[in-house]
Amino acid sequence: MSVEDGTPEVAVGPKRVDIVSFLAKYGVVLSLGTLIIVFSIARPDVFPTVGNFLSIMNQISILGMIALGLTVCLVMGLFDLSIGAMATLGGYAAARVLAQDLSDPGAIDVVWVVVLVLSMAAIIGMMNGVLVSYLGISAFIETLAAGSIITGAILGVSASRTVLRGIPPEFLVIGQEKLVGIPNPVVIMLGLGFILWVFLEHTQPGRSMYAIGGNREAARLAGIAVKRYALVALGICAACAALGGLVAAANLGAGRPQGVGEAYLLNAFAAVFIGASTLRPGQFHILGTLIGVILIGVINNGLSIMGIPTFWRYIVQGILLIMALFAAGVLQVRRG
Amino acid sequence: MNTPQATLPTAPPESGGAVPLLEVRDLIKDFPGMRALDGVNLDVRRGEIHALLGENGAGKSTLIKCVVGAHSPSEGRIFVGGKAVNFHNPHDAQAAGISVVHQHANLVPTLTVQENLNLGRALPKRGGIFVDWRLARKDAVELFQRVNMNIDPRSYVSTLRPDEAAMVAIAKAIASHAKLIILDEPTASLSPTEADVLFGHMRHLASEGHGFLYVSHRLSEVFGIADRISVIRDGKYVGTWTRDQVVRRDIIAAIIGSDSKFNDEAAQATSHGAVTLGVQQVSGERIKSATFDLHQKEILGIAGLPGSGAEEILDLLFGRNKITAGTVTLKNKKLNLSSPRAAIQAGLALVPKDRHAEANLPGFSIRENIAVASLGKHLSDPVFRFIKKRAERRTAKEVVAQLNVKTPGVEVEIDALSGGNQQKTILGRWLSTDASVFLLNSPTAAVDVGAKVEIYDLIADLAEKGAAVIFTSTEIEEFPRLCHRVIVFNEGEIVGELIGEQISESNIMALSVGGGT
Repeated sequence: MSVEDGTPEVAVGPKRVDIVSFLAKYGVVLSLGTLIIVFSIARPDVFPTVGNFLSIMNQISILGMIALGLTVCLVMGLFDLSIGAMATLGGYAAARVLAQDLSDPGAIDVVWVVVLVLSMAAIIGMMNGVLVSYLGISAFIETLAAGSIITGAILGVSASRTVLRGIPPEFLVIGQEKLVGIPNPVVIMLGLGFILWVFLEHTQPGRSMYAIGGNREAARLAGIAVKRYALVALGICAACAALGGLVAAANLGAGRPQGVGEAYLLNAFAAVFIGASTLRPGQFHILGTLIGVILIGVINNGLSIMGIPTFWRYIVQGILLIMALFAAGVLQVRRG
Repeated sequence: MNTPQATLPTAPPESGGAVPLLEVRDLIKDFPGMRALDGVNLDVRRGEIHALLGENGAGKSTLIKCVVGAHSPSEGRIFVGGKAVNFHNPHDAQAAGISVVHQHANLVPTLTVQENLNLGRALPKRGGIFVDWRLARKDAVELFQRVNMNIDPRSYVSTLRPDEAAMVAIAKAIASHAKLIILDEPTASLSPTEADVLFGHMRHLASEGHGFLYVSHRLSEVFGIADRISVIRDGKYVGTWTRDQVVRRDIIAAIIGSDSKFNDEAAQATSHGAVTLGVQQVSGERIKSATFDLHQKEILGIAGLPGSGAEEILDLLFGRNKITAGTVTLKNKKLNLSSPRAAIQAGLALVPKDRHAEANLPGFSIRENIAVASLGKHLSDPVFRFIKKRAERRTAKEVVAQLNVKTPGVEVEIDALSGGNQQKTILGRWLSTDASVFLLNSPTAAVDVGAKVEIYDLIADLAEKGAAVIFTSTEIEEFPRLCHRVIVFNEGEIVGELIGEQISESNIMALSVGGGT
């Protein structure tokens, strides 16, 4: 009798847990699949085509670069809120130097300017890291302040004027041309994703960052230079954000001193957090971030193809982010 | 040997016919798989300071939690003022006049004293809207006058001395009409003079009819202040005595029991190797000055009460706390111990006390948890630093096999293991480095008995193979079991050294409380 009383409970217990952890792991992938199917059925002539797929990828590539860099920071538990300003800086600085400060720049100059701009961003990011690590300022607030300073500096230097003329065509190649049929921004995003994936998953610094994010004190006691890694993470994140802004400028053919990066800030966080509730719930990882970015791209593209007003995108994205955070949170609570 | 119960007459449970403030009868508390309390009796009278003693894990906290309703007892009864009670939460207990003051005094340091006094209570209002701070201050001043204290209610708690903070917490309890105040190691962070001030206040309040249940490790204090002393051991009630009935030695015997489990298995003194670690006049936050040597193949115990500095020695040697003076040498070479990283490079290893907060990487595999301190050995090159996963996995498997970690494989998350196997994994983390000096802080904390013995054997084995080990623990019984030599700290100074046969729980305890052997 007691067996009959007990059996159903025992049987139900693990099964329910399985469903929850299954959803926490694959919920985002499932919603992505469902959305693709729904949009494909709704607009079979427009949505499920190679052209539209590449267009989605192209639309998300800049967000992708920024979000991939942000992933590195969040792996360590650091919030970087300066990525929006940093993206604006990357685009404006590259366009400005090429169009105004150099006379008749060629392909080699473009390469040098790109390297210069990304290095500058990395150094600013590392300076943020110094303030966070050695002065003990919270990264959240420090990067918010740094973003404000950067925004102000660009507005001052540019006198709020967009760089339009004199940008060499070699620079525009970065944002407008294709490589074997794939738009260059997509190639750059995927290449960056691969490099950061190798870095985080297969190198000692990457593993150390994960360890710091997992248990900071344990990592310190295992001999990891916890403070120094904040410089590395914020430096990488800043360079990736600047790269995103730079590609955006090349795509647009203009260096805008404002209104570039702000749009990406929230979406980048949304993508990375959606990614953290995908496949490896509770952990930030590159593949998850890419899936998060694609999900956002599919929603935006699908809703616009179906002629649904723009405001719905924001609402749907917000709901999705909350659901993703909930799924990740549920599993963490369960573990704890 | 005689048990204390047999030799000492216990005080009669009630005297004078007065109804005790608190009476606990035959209390039993079962947790899944263990009985935390097994028939505990206790009574606290009006006007009495009653000390509750016992080793760590003896059940003191569980008992207090049962009394205030944080745990519900499995069996037995609790009476408050003669009436049987069944509290469901600490609020119930507070309403019935029982308050607990914890070690860190449950005050909010960033608020003022008067704000703290009013936390969780309705503040006096003016016109129903504005807080009447003038009245709040007046109340606070009156309260402090009543308890004979001189503290400005407007000062911030963070600026108070530890004894003042403890007194504010007690005053707060009294303001909420507590008749019985339970003090959980109130003096752990106090200096002796500060503790004396606190005791003066407690005496005064007791003379006004309040009762205190006082949990402490410091025997000298207990004998200075307590009217009666109750001891529990392994969840069982040992006895209650009035202060004049007993001497310190009896109480020590009652606390640790005369049938200690490990005495007959005392560590054998072996011939040690050369001096490897030299600590010369090192001082730190709590350590005033410490000088000692550590030999190869030696397991050196560092004993002392919480706050005595025993634990800090490990933190100093591992670069967690700053060494303010003195030098540390390893094989006659002066060490730079500016950070844990530097200490590890010098060849030290630390197993910290709190496994979850300081050692485990939660959500990471056993392989990753083991490799985190020795990843440098498994790299493809010094520039890109790709991890050679196969080598990493092989090392992890070797460690798991060597330490007999019970797991289905090295890719299992560490959280899935039992406490003992987690701890073995953490030990394994350091075995895979080239460390020659192992600093172990309570390596068997929260580990089941079987795994404990395995960990003891591992440590002994480690020393036999040439490592030098420094060991400390909150469980005194472990020292005789494991150590070749023990040095004892009291108030930041080495007060004694015990070698071989001398290492016994009572000797360590006597030195720890400042009594001498």
